Amino acid sequence: MALLEAIGIGKTYPGGVVANDGVNLVIEPGEVHAVVGENGAGKSTLMKILFGIEQPNAGRLVLDGKDVSFAGPRAAIDAGIGMVFQHFSLVPSFAVYENVVMGSEPRQGIRFDRKRAIAEVQALSDKFRLKVDPLPPVSSLPVGQQQRVEILKALYRNARILILDEPTAVLAPQEVQELFVAIRSLVAQGKTVIFIAHKLPEVLEISDRITVMRQGKTVGQVKSSEVTEKSLAALMVGREVTLRVDRKPTDQSKRVAEVRGLRVVNARGTEVVAGLDLNVHAGEIVGLVGVEGNGQAETLEAIAGLKPIAAGDITLSGEAINGLPVLDRRGRGLASIPEDRISEGLATGATVAENLVSTKLTDRRFVRSGLLDLKAIRDNATKLIAEHSIRVGGPGYTVGTLSGGNMQKVVVARELSEQPKLLLVNQPTRGVDLGATQFIWRTITDARDKGAAVLLSSADLSELLALSDRLLVLYRGRLVAAFLNTPDLTPETLGTYMLGLSTQTAEDMKPALR
Amino acid sequence: MSNVPAIDKSIRFKAFRQEVTRSVGALVIALAVTTVIVFLTSKAPLDALTQLFTAPAAKTRTIGLWVDDIAKLTLTGLAFSLVFQARQFAMGVQGQVYIGAIAASFVVLSPIGTTPFGLAAGVLAAMAAGAFYGFLPGIAKAKLGANEIVSSLMLNYIAIELCNFLVRTSLPLPQAGVLTTVDFPEQSVLPALVANTRIDLGLIFAIVAVLVVWFALYRTSWGLKLRLVGHNARFAEYSGIKSTFIMVSAMTASGALGGLLGAVFVQGQTWGKLTVQFEGGLAFEGILVAIVARSRPLAVPIVAIFYAYLRQGASLMNVRTDVPAEVIGVVTAIIILLVSSSFSVNFVSKLFRRAPAAAAVQSAAK
Ligand SMILES: Nc1ncnc2c1ncn2[C@@H]1O[C@H](COP(=O)(O)OP(=O)(O)OP(=O)(O)O)[C@@H](O)[C@H]1O
Ligand SMILES: [Mg+2]
Repeated sequence: MALLEAIGIGKTYPGGVVANDGVNLVIEPGEVHAVVGENGAGKSTLMKILFGIEQPNAGRLVLDGKDVSFAGPRAAIDAGIGMVFQHFSLVPSFAVYENVVMGSEPRQGIRFDRKRAIAEVQALSDKFRLKVDPLPPVSSLPVGQQQRVEILKALYRNARILILDEPTAVLAPQEVQELFVAIRSLVAQGKTVIFIAHKLPEVLEISDRITVMRQGKTVGQVKSSEVTEKSLAALMVGREVTLRVDRKPTDQSKRVAEVRGLRVVNARGTEVVAGLDLNVHAGEIVGLVGVEGNGQAETLEAIAGLKPIAAGDITLSGEAINGLPVLDRRGRGLASIPEDRISEGLATGATVAENLVSTKLTDRRFVRSGLLDLKAIRDNATKLIAEHSIRVGGPGYTVGTLSGGNMQKVVVARELSEQPKLLLVNQPTRGVDLGATQFIWRTITDARDKGAAVLLSSADLSELLALSDRLLVLYRGRLVAAFLNTPDLTPETLGTYMLGLSTQTAEDMKPALR
Repeated sequence: MSNVPAIDKSIRFKAFRQEVTRSVGALVIALAVTTVIVFLTSKAPLDALTQLFTAPAAKTRTIGLWVDDIAKLTLTGLAFSLVFQARQFAMGVQGQVYIGAIAASFVVLSPIGTTPFGLAAGVLAAMAAGAFYGFLPGIAKAKLGANEIVSSLMLNYIAIELCNFLVRTSLPLPQAGVLTTVDFPEQSVLPALVANTRIDLGLIFAIVAVLVVWFALYRTSWGLKLRLVGHNARFAEYSGIKSTFIMVSAMTASGALGGLLGAVFVQGQTWGKLTVQFEGGLAFEGILVAIVARSRPLAVPIVAIFYAYLRQGASLMNVRTDVPAEVIGVVTAIIILLVSSSFSVNFVSKLFRRAPAAAAVQSAAK
C-alpha cells in the first residue's frame, strides 16, 4: 500500500495562475521519490500542499490509506511529514540545538532542559549521519550545514516523510555527496524522502522512482533504473535537450577589466580576498573556480561596487572605478547577476515590470524629467518576458508569485537586456531547469560573442567548464592555479587545486594569465 | 492607461476587491465586538449605540466635525503612508504638526498675516518647517545610524514642549492665564467651504495631497525608487539606487505633509489661532489609517471616512451617554489586528461555521 497519495490535486492561486491541475503522486514507504519538472511546473506548490501550507482547490490526500487534510503545517508535522524549504527558516543567532528543538523543547518541570536537548540533537545527528556540531550559532555555519540543521529539525519532530525542495541547489558538489549519504541512511532507517531537483544526474543517482510534472500536470511516473538522462529530459521538456554551448572565436585582444592587488576584509575582520590580480578581456569568459567561500563572491561584489575594498585597484576600460557608486559603474557598462536573487537581485513585492527597469531609472527611454513612461516600462517587460520565456501572467504580477527559476530569468533578462561591457555572473543557473539553463548559458555566451568581458563564478564545475575560456582557481582568497579551458581539463584536476592540495608555480600559471 | 493588458486589469481588480472585502470584514467584526461590549457595560446600550452609529451624520454641525476629521486624518495617513512605503518607521508626524503650526503662527501673526498672501505664506512656512523636522531623523539615520523611531519620537516631545513654551512666552496672548494666542487675522484663516461648519479649505488641501502623493509614488521615478527601497533596500543599492537619499527625501516629504496638517489645524476654522495641545492626538491616528489603507494613497481617504465617523461617533457617545470614548480603542485594536494579520474572509466564514460561540457574536450584531 502506498504511504502517501495525492489524487487529482488542483490548485489555482488568487490571480488565476493554475499551478496544479489534476496532479497525482504516489509515494511508497521507504523510497526516495524525486519530483522533476521545468520551472513553474508546480512542484513547490504540490509540496506546500502536502505540508499544509497551501490548501488545494480540488483533489484529496491519502496517508496510510486514510483521507487526510492539513489545515496548516502543524497538522502535517503531527501526521509525520517534514519539509525543508529552499530558503531556510532558522534563527541565525540561536545555537544549532536550540534551532532543532525550538517549539518542542525537552523540559524539566517548566525549565528548558538544555543538557537533554544537546544530547538528543547529538544522538539524532549521529544516527542519521548528519554531522553537525550542536553548540555553535547557526549563523556561523556554511549553507550545507544549515541545511542539515533543517533536516534534523524535521527529524526531531518525528517526520516519517521528509520533503526536500531543491536541497542541492545551494550545495557544493562535495556537500551534495554528503547529503546523499545522509539520505541513504535515512531511508535505510525506514524514512521516506521526497526530493526535488533540476540536475538529472543527481536525480538518477539518489532516487528510486521519479514523478515528472509539466505545466501543472503529472505527465508520468518512472523507475529511475529504467530511464536515462536523455529520456528523462525529453519527458520533462517534451523535446530533446542537450546541455552544450558553442563559443564562437572572438577577438580577445582588448582588456576590459583589470584588478590589481585586491584585498577584501569581511565584517568579522578576516581577509577573504588576499591580494588578487586578474584581467578580463572583451570576448572571453573567465571562470572563477573555488569551493564556496574562497573569495569568489567577494571579488565579484567588490568589482560591482557592493562591498568596500581594503586595498587594490579596479579599472574598467582603462578608467579607475574604485570609489565610484554602483550607478556610475553600471553607466560604464557593468552588469551583474548576483548570487542570491531573493535578497539581492529582486524586489519580490514589486511587479515584474518594475523589477525589469530598476537598473535603468536614469534611462531616457523609461524616465523623462523625473516621470515614468509607464507604457515603455510595460512594453519593455512584455518584450523581455517573451524573449526569455518567463512564466508569468503579465508585467503587472509581483515577482514574489513567480517560481524560483522564473525569478532567476527575470534577473538575467534585466541584466542582459543591453549588451554589457563587463558582465559579472554568480551562480547563474541555481534552481533553474534544463531548458532555462541552456537558454541562460546561450544568453551569456551571446553576450561574450558580441564582445562582453565576462567573469563567472559557479558552484557547478560542469557549468564553469562548459562556459569558460580561462579558469582561475581561488583558494583562501588567493590565486592558486590558472588554466586555459582545453578539452583535457577535468573536474578532478581542478578539484585538487580547489581543496588547496596543490598550488601551481607562477611559471605554470603564466600561459593562462593574460 | 488605456493599453493596460486586460489580464493586468483583472488581477488588479481582483486584488482590490479582496482588499476591500477584507477591510469591510474587519470592520464588521470589530463593530460586532463593540456592540457586545456596549451591551455588557452600558445601562442604556441602545441609546449609546444609536449615538455611536448615527450621531455624526445627524446634524450639519456634526457632519462638519466628521468631514473636518476626514481631511485631517487623510493628511496624517498620507504622511505615514509615504514613510511606510519606504519602510522607514518614522513616527514624527505629531512633531511636524506642532512645528508646522508654530511656523504658521509666527508668519500669520507677523505683518504678513494681514496681507492677501498671509494664508499661503502661513501654509508654506508650515510645510517648510515640517519638512525640516522630517529631514532631521532622516539625516540622523543616514549619517549617524540613529534609529528613526526613537529620534522621531524624541522630536515629537520637543515640538510639543516648544509649542507650550512659545504660546506662554513669545506669542501675543489675548489675556493672562489663557493658553492660546490671539485670533489670527481673517486673511490668514482658511475660508469655510460650508458656512457655519468646520469644513474649510483644509479639505481641498487634503484632496490635492492625495493626488500629489499618489502621483509622486506611482508616476515618478522618485516614487518607484522609494517603493523599491521599501521592498528591498539591498536590491535597490545593487540596482544603483541611492537608498539613503531616497530614505531621507521620503522622510522630508512626509514632514512637509505633517507641517501642512499643522497649518490646517491652526489656520483652519477649528482654531484660527495657536493653542497648546491643539492636535489632541489625531496625528498619531494616521498610523492606523496608513496600516488599514496598506499605505496606498488612494485608499487613505476612504479609510479616513470610516475612521473619522467612528471617531466622531465615539466622542459624541462619550459626551452624551455613560459609555466612554475609549471603547473605540477596542474597535481600532481589532481592526488593526485583523487587517495586519493574514486574516481572510474565507477564514472568518470557516470560523463561524465551526464555532457556535462566534456565531452568537455575529447574530448579536444583527
Ligand atoms: N503565491 C503565489 N501566487 C500566485 N502564483 C503563484 C504563487 N506561487 C507560485 N505561483 C505560480 O504557480 C506556478 C507554479 O509554481 P511553483 O513554485 O510550484 O513551481 P516549481 O515547479 O516549484 O518551479 P521552480 O522549479 O522554478 O521552483 C508558477 O507559475 C508560479 O508563478
Ligand atoms: Mg520550486
